Amino acid sequence: MKTAKSKKKKQKQESYAIEVKNLTKYFKLYYDKPNTLKERLVFWNKSKVEKKVVLKNINLKIKKGETVALIGVNGSGKSTLLKMMSKIIYPNEGKIEINGKLTSLLELGAGFHPDFTGRENIYFNASIFGLTAAEIDARVLDIINFSELGELIDTPVRTYSSGMYMRLAFSVAINVDAEILLIDEILAVGDQHFQDKCFAKLRELKDSGKTIVIVSHSLGYVQKLCDRAVWIYNGEVKMDGKTEKVIEEYLKVCG
Amino acid sequence: MFKELYNYRQLLKSNIKKDIRGKYKGSFLGVLWSFVNPLLMTLVYAIVFPYILKDTGDNYVTFLVIGILPWTFFTTVISQGTYCILANAGIIKKVYFPREILPISIATSGLINFLISCLIIFIFLIFSGVGFSIQILWLPLIILTQYLFSLALIFITSAVNVYIRDAEYIINFIVSMLFYATPILYKAETFAGSAIEWIIKLNPMATIITCYRDVLFYQSLPHIKSLLVVLLGSIILLWLGYKIFKKLEKGFAEEV
Repeated sequence: MKTAKSKKKKQKQESYAIEVKNLTKYFKLYYDKPNTLKERLVFWNKSKVEKKVVLKNINLKIKKGETVALIGVNGSGKSTLLKMMSKIIYPNEGKIEINGKLTSLLELGAGFHPDFTGRENIYFNASIFGLTAAEIDARVLDIINFSELGELIDTPVRTYSSGMYMRLAFSVAINVDAEILLIDEILAVGDQHFQDKCFAKLRELKDSGKTIVIVSHSLGYVQKLCDRAVWIYNGEVKMDGKTEKVIEEYLKVCG
Repeated sequence: MFKELYNYRQLLKSNIKKDIRGKYKGSFLGVLWSFVNPLLMTLVYAIVFPYILKDTGDNYVTFLVIGILPWTFFTTVISQGTYCILANAGIIKKVYFPREILPISIATSGLINFLISCLIIFIFLIFSGVGFSIQILWLPLIILTQYLFSLALIFITSAVNVYIRDAEYIINFIVSMLFYATPILYKAETFAGSAIEWIIKLNPMATIITCYRDVLFYQSLPHIKSLLVVLLGSIILLWLGYKIFKKLEKGFAEEV
């Protein structure tokens, strides 16, 4: 009896990819941040610290296979939430549970070394996402093809145009094969042709059952891609539901 | 801890490669610089110190090389390691990965560099006529001790340096002072009976360097008890340093 119950509980838990429970995050704002020992000793009780609450008691459950958009005006806390989901920063209260391999594309080309070639950077960048050499070997052709860089892949990254740089970075990130993808406003990569391609790739990932969380201001893309939208306003969930409805309400207030 | 590190082994590998190769990329001699530098240092000391020290003993140059190369390994790891979290601020803010990879790869790339520079020591041993003995079998244990000791230190210093930026300068000063409190230019017995002897006895690097000297230069048994004490101390310090690092790591992305 007991085992059946706990098994059921486990199943229930695992149907969620991401669970955010009573999460609160604040940043400390220093007026004069003591960075050196001298400042710390001299101003140890003088520096003014103000707590700025960025997210207040957030509760959010994202099912496996769902595609969710976080929308809201600048500074509402969407990116902070995404950073906490990817374990870059940690909440002050509450917790986040993740089930499955997670990749976050918060900023493209993290850790690219300008003097290394495109191919070397593929290896380095993909290893940051936790891939082994064999796994990267298996994907490297896909990545190069997707980036459409062709022969240029063996020249140093510093010679790339910014568009080419972004294309390479996006190609690595999108081919990592995570179960959960967190994406922060990076749909606007490259020219129209490449953007369409990225969008098609995200569609494909969505159809293959990946969980995707997107922060974006391109409401058009969001509407086409996501089944669910969460509107975050001043650090709180203002509305959570079907994408069209949430966007409609959002535009009424912020449009 | 080990499971996650194992999952990210490729990152560790490419990071070590980047630390070794990336540093000198674009310079004419490339990686060779990490060997030319200590050798030039040795040359300077070898010219100057016979005038200062009364008794430098035979084969002073070989004597120096055996002290200076391990010391270079130590200082490189400490100075790069202390700065390694700040140096990677860019990726720390953007991606998740086990942060301990950064200090570990600094210590390991230092280790690889040192293993290569052991060849230089061997060349000196051969051409000075000192030669080798069976005691050389102790070498791996001594190197391991030094590796664990410096890794333990940079776990702490790299994490603290994020919050207190002075740490870097304080540590660099301490390290350069320690150079004189370590029997590198002189024999450990030089200060026997004086107050300085105690500083040398308490300095783990002095024990390590003395062990290198014993097994390579004097070809005698190293002081095994002291070596094991330093090894054990390093393991405890490593555990402690790792705890401190893990505790402070949560604030890295916000502080760097």
